[in-house]
Amino acid sequence: MENTQQVNSKNIYYPPGGILLWIIIFLELITFGIALIAMVISSKENPTDFHESRLLLNTPFGTINTVFLITSGFFMAVSVNYLKQNNTKKSLLFLTLTMLGGVLFLVLKGVEYSDKIDAGLTIGYNTFFTYYWMLTLFHVIHVIVGLVILVSVYVGLKKKKSTTTIEDVEASAAFWHMCDLIWLLLFPIIYLLF
Amino acid sequence: MNSRTIFVWIILVLLTVVVGVISSFPLSYAVITILVLSVIKFIGVSFYFMELKKAHIFWKASVLIYVLLFSTIVLVVI
Repeated sequence: MENTQQVNSKNIYYPPGGILLWIIIFLELITFGIALIAMVISSKENPTDFHESRLLLNTPFGTINTVFLITSGFFMAVSVNYLKQNNTKKSLLFLTLTMLGGVLFLVLKGVEYSDKIDAGLTIGYNTFFTYYWMLTLFHVIHVIVGLVILVSVYVGLKKKKSTTTIEDVEASAAFWHMCDLIWLLLFPIIYLLF
Repeated sequence: MNSRTIFVWIILVLLTVVVGVISSFPLSYAVITILVLSVIKFIGVSFYFMELKKAHIFWKASVLIYVLLFSTIVLVVI
């Protein structure tokens, strides 16, 4: 089976998930990092406005969503481990749980967005909410893309004569974890700091 | 299932809850505490879930430099 092949991760050209994906991960982290720093700099112009706007966010929802993504990332790591042990059945089970975590994240985010729209806190409400909508929506797009990739991996592994390799699954897992990492930067800055 | 991965997951969930609770209290060191705990969570996910722990030192150092630089800039600006 092709999915039992292993690469040496200690080699600089072969980080877990592949060098090309890690270049993307760093580009994404730098992009979100710069945007968040711009948000923090903007908050200096009107700290009261940012503080009052931050209090309008649902921190418990943000916390629960963080738990969903961390747990989903944990299931993804377990799924990759099982695949390395050539246990495709358990790998698929944990891949399903990974996707469930992502779906729960999107559902809760949808409820949160709906509440904000109903309260009139749309993208043009003030500077804080412009950053809130831009950054969180951009992240949501990443989660949706990640879910599409995971579904394709699931379908690939489910086939009897699967051509999906462990490298494919590791690259998909690295993308999924990247969504987790971006959220771990967004959550404290947007929901907690101001 | 790797017991270390389970341990890291439990720690990450606990830290998330702690960060959420800390933010609701007007503590003098709340900002720095939230940032430090968030950096720990970031390192936990990248080193253990993404298996960066097994990668070349270049990738480990790059992630550490990135997250420390980011949190330091936020801490200085805020």
